[in-house]
Amino acid sequence: MGIKLYKEPDLENPVLLACWPGIGNVGLVAVDTLRRMLEAEELGEIEPWDFFYPRKVLIRNGELKDLIFPENKFYFKRTEGKDLIFFIAEEQPALEGKAYAEGAKAYQMANLVLDVAVKFGCRRIFTSGAAIAATHHTMRPRVWAVPNASSLIPELRGYDNTILMSDIEGRGGEGNITGLNGLLLGVARTRGIEAICIMGEIPIYLQGFPMLYPKASKSVLEVLTQILGVSIDMSDITGFAERSEKEIDRLYGELPSEAKEQLDKLKDISQDKISEERIITEEDKKRILDDVDRFFRKDIKEDEN
Amino acid sequence: MSEGISYKFFSKPKLNSCSLIVCWKEDTGRLGVSVIDYINEKLNSQLFCEIEPEGFFYLGGVLVEDNIAQFPESKFYCCPEKKLVIVRSNTPRAEWYKFLNMLLDITEDICPIKDLYTIGGMVTLVAHTTPRKLLATANSPEMNTVLSRYDLSVDLNYETPSGQRPTLSSYLLWVARRRNIMGAALWMPMPFYLVSAGDPRAYKKTVDFLNFRFNLGIDISVFDDEIHRQNEKIARLSNRFLELDGFLRKLETNINLTEEENGRLVQLMEEYLGKDNQP
Repeated sequence: MGIKLYKEPDLENPVLLACWPGIGNVGLVAVDTLRRMLEAEELGEIEPWDFFYPRKVLIRNGELKDLIFPENKFYFKRTEGKDLIFFIAEEQPALEGKAYAEGAKAYQMANLVLDVAVKFGCRRIFTSGAAIAATHHTMRPRVWAVPNASSLIPELRGYDNTILMSDIEGRGGEGNITGLNGLLLGVARTRGIEAICIMGEIPIYLQGFPMLYPKASKSVLEVLTQILGVSIDMSDITGFAERSEKEIDRLYGELPSEAKEQLDKLKDISQDKISEERIITEEDKKRILDDVDRFFRKDIKEDEN
Repeated sequence: MSEGISYKFFSKPKLNSCSLIVCWKEDTGRLGVSVIDYINEKLNSQLFCEIEPEGFFYLGGVLVEDNIAQFPESKFYCCPEKKLVIVRSNTPRAEWYKFLNMLLDITEDICPIKDLYTIGGMVTLVAHTTPRKLLATANSPEMNTVLSRYDLSVDLNYETPSGQRPTLSSYLLWVARRRNIMGAALWMPMPFYLVSAGDPRAYKKTVDFLNFRFNLGIDISVFDDEIHRQNEKIARLSNRFLELDGFLRKLETNINLTEEENGRLVQLMEEYLGKDNQP
């Protein structure tokens, strides 16, 4: 079980950005877009066979040519003053039947990622994912920031469109970050490394969708570039988010009117201004989600046919 | 070795080198297990080692099959006279890379592995009467050359379709190649409607190849009796359910059945060809 580095560049004050697939691939799309736009170079990889079952076998003329595993690669980019290391994984080392990393394998992988961070002198780690929120897909997704040390809070309060857990009604600053996004924060804390998880809001009714949500990825990317002090062309991700929103609008338009009425209430909730007559009860929420789930299951079946 | 993961030897057979044959219990149509059990019985192979399930298998309860509680097992048998080591195992649910390496480590603890073969069934849309060939995938050009001397299909082109994963046999071949062990995965096509009832033709063909490859000298006439019995059952079933004959004729002439016809064929075969059922 190990790390394979292709090169060992001297990096100046690097920070590490890590991401994995998750709900709407919000973090993955954001961080990978940044990596691509900055044209980061390959740095190394975590050998996958101890963590993952292979994805694909290639057989040609009766001979097994290759077995392809999920990739877990490191990249680096030198920027003005603050160099970047990216860790981009195609899968989380999940236990059978689970979507997110947990258990010994997840802990081992978190430590391997941090080993690379420490080797190159990283003082700070970012992870990124989705925050399931009572918001509407027409609203601008906010970015939830969760640090692993209280000393980071004042800084995070200064970024645009960024909120802390305590800013979200009813949470009292508490919550849960599943999978490696959360685990890496915790392991970094025990190893004395600053870490922040940056999460883009995804509407509660889209959480179970088998589709990307680039609108939230764009919000994450805006915050990340602000924090890192790098500038990139946002037109690709903006176009992607617009196309995605049109598709969601189309599906939304086909929802039963009662479900739509209920979901429209989320526009008010996300503005933190809920009047007595517009509040969504637990019963409403369950009915809305059941309606949406039924609707989209039907849609997926039709696609398959 | 990782904590909690271990194996136990019951004896240490003495061999200069061996061919390793591996089958997985969850195999399509139980082809691998049926073949291995028959070979083990005929060769009087001796159990010499077992991998402990902890760390590889789900241990939160037991699976019940045919009214009997099962338990995951990975057993190693040896037939020194034929220079064979035979592994009969459930497919692990975790730590696959470690498991496959352990499988090779245990065998190499006895003697160097000359070559490795996995045996498995493959569901196809052919009729049981259609002549079939064993299909082989090698993990090296050298092995491909060896295989081409036999009556096998050795020109497969395949890529795992999206949403599926490679088989454990392919994974084992890859691990073996990394350790410079040449190997082949043998796949026997089986008609989809005999997956549950079993396919003695497929068993016979596979044992026949192993007989030839390793000079085993095993009597395979027992499979002819089974084939005969199955033919009779299917004939009686065709007399009783007239559509059955039409389904089989279509398959014999490479005409696809509708989904409904497929379902009916499977239903009839499963209902009437089971071990204890007589049409």
